[in-house]
Amino acid sequence: MPSPSAPARPLVLPETRAAALFLAPWLVGFVALFGWPFGATLYWSFCRYDLLSEPRFVGADNYQRLAEELLHGGRFGLALWNTAYYAALSVPLSIGLGIGLAVLLSGPIRGRATLRTFFYLPSVAPTMAAAVLWMWLLDPRDGLVNHALALIGLPGPGWLTSVREAAWPPAWWSGAWGFGSKDALTLMGLWGVGNFMVIYLAALADVPPHLYEAAELDGANAWQRFRHVTLPLLTPAIFFNLVMGLINAVQAFTQVYVVSEGQGAPAGATLLLSLHLFLAAFKELDMGYASAMAWVVLVVVLLLTAAVLRTSRYWVHYQGRAA
Amino acid sequence: MIPGRWRSLAGGSACAALLAAVWLLPGQRSAFERVPEGRRPVVFWHIWGGRERQVVERIVDEFNASQSEHYVLAVAMPGNNLDLKFLTSIAGGDPPDLLNQDDPVTADLAARRLILAVDELASPREARALAEWLFPAARELATYQDRLWAVPNGLDIRALYYDADALDELGLAPPATLAELDALALKAAPPQRPGLPRRMGFLPDPRRLWAYGIVFGGRFYDESTDRLTLDDPRVVAALTWMQSYSRLYGADRVAAFRSGDQALTGSSFPLLEGRYVAIMDGQWRVSEIEAAANDAAAHGRNPPRFGVVPLPPPPGGRYDAGWVNGNVFLVPRGGRNPQGAWAFIQYWIGRAGHEAAAARHAADGGWIPVSPRVVARPEFQSYLDEHPLFAEFVALAGSRNQVPTPVIPRAAFLQAEVIRAAEDALYRGVDPRTALRAAQRSVERARAEAADAP
Repeated sequence: MPSPSAPARPLVLPETRAAALFLAPWLVGFVALFGWPFGATLYWSFCRYDLLSEPRFVGADNYQRLAEELLHGGRFGLALWNTAYYAALSVPLSIGLGIGLAVLLSGPIRGRATLRTFFYLPSVAPTMAAAVLWMWLLDPRDGLVNHALALIGLPGPGWLTSVREAAWPPAWWSGAWGFGSKDALTLMGLWGVGNFMVIYLAALADVPPHLYEAAELDGANAWQRFRHVTLPLLTPAIFFNLVMGLINAVQAFTQVYVVSEGQGAPAGATLLLSLHLFLAAFKELDMGYASAMAWVVLVVVLLLTAAVLRTSRYWVHYQGRAA
Repeated sequence: MIPGRWRSLAGGSACAALLAAVWLLPGQRSAFERVPEGRRPVVFWHIWGGRERQVVERIVDEFNASQSEHYVLAVAMPGNNLDLKFLTSIAGGDPPDLLNQDDPVTADLAARRLILAVDELASPREARALAEWLFPAARELATYQDRLWAVPNGLDIRALYYDADALDELGLAPPATLAELDALALKAAPPQRPGLPRRMGFLPDPRRLWAYGIVFGGRFYDESTDRLTLDDPRVVAALTWMQSYSRLYGADRVAAFRSGDQALTGSSFPLLEGRYVAIMDGQWRVSEIEAAANDAAAHGRNPPRFGVVPLPPPPGGRYDAGWVNGNVFLVPRGGRNPQGAWAFIQYWIGRAGHEAAAARHAADGGWIPVSPRVVARPEFQSYLDEHPLFAEFVALAGSRNQVPTPVIPRAAFLQAEVIRAAEDALYRGVDPRTALRAAQRSVERARAEAADAP
């Protein structure tokens, strides 16, 4: 029981008040710019809404349309395929390249700091500027890349002007194989792999040297040390980059908008989900359909993330935790 | 040590002072402060940039100097998505008084009664007189459900440019029929040659199915039944013909060769670079060709020789035909000064005794006037005498076969879907009729939804 002479404890501590005050701008922003749109788009996804008139409830019409477009090869189906292709190609490649660069640049090589800066720099270049630069580089007629290929006698792909898909197996046998616009987008994305590389570098610095020493004593060669020591201890970073890479692939917009004339050109080959959503909402003023699409995409990303999380227990190894 | 209360007060005051400073910065002051005493402002949003923006600003200055009642405040918004900004301003309850743009959104705005019809700005008699004063294509561009909802102030016409020197080299005359155009293409760039050719005779642009469909004698929309007719056999025939070039040269080669064509301006215009013998493009390229000729003359070289002919039709097709679009004025409902907007519109296009000024402005900008009366003015005729290539486009402006995108709700979507269908046919090898029918279904659904809107 408190002594009668002790001062009464205030209902809200000054520290709590200060914390609330400092948090207030963020909380207001969160509710106004995230919470409210989040709820509103869920409601709009069941409405016909053109931004200019009041939303009108139409039940599951928008979701039904998405399902039809998915089943009968409509725009949503095309956008989903393009996004899946882009994600399936860009995420593993950026992880692989990021690890490769990090491993190379973590060794005792001359100019290591300069090289790290060199590889990291592209990831801080503005997306717009980088996209325009890549459009020049990959121009099938006058671009440097095709000129370089011509010098070694290779035919130059159509890159951003082509609908081909280099990583689509049926195209390998049908004679329609070639690098197309989505492959070019992947290449553009790999240019900014420095972000991933920095995370892997940090993870590599965290690998205890005694594990390498023990492996060496056991006679492990360089590949075995990488495969059985480095790689397992990089898995937490790989896991993080995998989830972020998936989300980034689904959200890819700026570079796609720039290289595709804002329309997903050529012939819808770069119509990724985010661009399709933008066009539906703000060009076709079909906010109900766009909101439904946003929710479907959210659910897909959540399911993918959950699947990655669920499988992580089998392949992600944390230091100090028993296998 | 400063007590916590005073620290909070000092922090709050600093924030308030910062906000006040931002609010009072000179750049944040209202443009309305420029409006002279006793004059009513007309907030005017437009799409013009570059050299044309200077012409627009001269027109605004001249109008303001001629006025004692209104004062136009021009806001340049070049680039994409002006339609979106405009809709946002309407949704936010603060639209401009006047908009000049080139997106096919007139019917969408009219159907929702978001803009004023001309007969709400002027007397019905004046609205009728204005409609008769316009070129047929300009009238069609602005009419929705038999009412003028927009006022065009410039037309964009396309035709076939050709390189006369290259034609001489090939021993060919400028193509007058589609068969002659095909023969030119084949002779200039035989399809058997490997790799990307240095020069093509001609390649169709998927965005221009809108023009070739009309040239082939087709229609994209039947006004009498209010139904889209994208699978009109003649539109299908036009797309099949366009697709034949992809089949002949290979879709990848066509796409790669055409890379960035429409964005290349100035001396990079593909015809000036010698990449095509013939290319379809609009009247705005004339100034680039003339600049190249002047440059060649200044450097003691023989100036390149280029000509223009109407798009060559197939047998049974239409002559002097094509797709026309243009810039239109829109007056939002809820603007603060619609009468000022109307006065400025009349001044720009040449109504109410301003035909001479309109002819001068059109010549300054290299624009095609919207009325044959302005074209007939001596000020504009002397411009045409000096610019014979431009005159070819102006001659087409009066043709009944120059047809705009149908002025119906969701026209912008229709326009985009037709282009997508053409791209699918040219670059993915989709059957033209299948591609056009898919586009028709998609647009009909969107139209049904628009009609169903509250």
